[in-house]
Amino acid sequence: MDPLQLLSGALLLVGAFFFIAGTVGLIRLHDRFSRLHALTKADNVGLGFIVLGLMPLAPDLFYGLKLVLVWLLVVIAGATGAHLIAKRALRGDGEDVL
Amino acid sequence: MNALLTLFDLLLTLTLLGLAVVTVTSRELRRAVILFIAFGLLLALVWARLRAPDLALAEAAIGAGLSGALMLAAARRASGRKTSTGEDSDAKDAP
Amino acid sequence: MSTSLLSVALVLMAGIAAGLIRVAIGPTPSDRMMAAQLMGTSGIGVILLLAPVLAVPALIDVALIFSLLAAVAVTAFTRRRLTNHGD
Repeated sequence: MDPLQLLSGALLLVGAFFFIAGTVGLIRLHDRFSRLHALTKADNVGLGFIVLGLMPLAPDLFYGLKLVLVWLLVVIAGATGAHLIAKRALRGDGEDVL
Repeated sequence: MNALLTLFDLLLTLTLLGLAVVTVTSRELRRAVILFIAFGLLLALVWARLRAPDLALAEAAIGAGLSGALMLAAARRASGRKTSTGEDSDAKDAP
Repeated sequence: MSTSLLSVALVLMAGIAAGLIRVAIGPTPSDRMMAAQLMGTSGIGVILLLAPVLAVPALIDVALIFSLLAAVAVTAFTRRRLTNHGD
């Protein structure tokens, strides 16, 4: 068990904790905006820690760059989606508020 | 390792089956479409577990992404037509 | 090492199964879409963890497609109808 694997395991555990927290928050919280907050935490921080923990196991440089690219795309998609959903809920102009 | 993999497969299959039942038995269009998108994501996960990355790619891109977006647009138009003629809307789904 | 990767993937899979509750009961369509987005992100995590376990490095392309299509789905979901509501 070399220290790099230990570090990787610890980072993966932190990522899994953030995913659990996001899922529990999505199920248990009562307000829509609170749920949005829990969702974005799980998206950005949880997947970020998992990508960081998988980074020492990457076979070559290109694979590591692809991992970072996946995380960047998820962050961009998560921010865009959270803003769109929150704006739609604030203005009340969605089709579900007819 | 092997027992963990079996547990993973069991959880994946049970979630997929439950999602399929909820999707087919849902009465609202929009709910069914969102559940269908989630079902496509899980089916892509199953293909990835079966070591078929090309099938998982096709399922995620076509099954979940493109047809999901098209069905969302179609469901929006269908519900708009229904409410404009004054029939029942999905008002019970409003916040 | 692959045992710990698989156990973390199992935890994420349990999260997906729990998010299904919110998709099924969520009072508004926004809640359903948020839960579907969380399921997609957890699916990306599971695929990234499965790639070293199953020794299939091509799975990372599937994760890339997942992350691209999450944005497409949310954007298609929040698009407004232009004819009736104006603005």
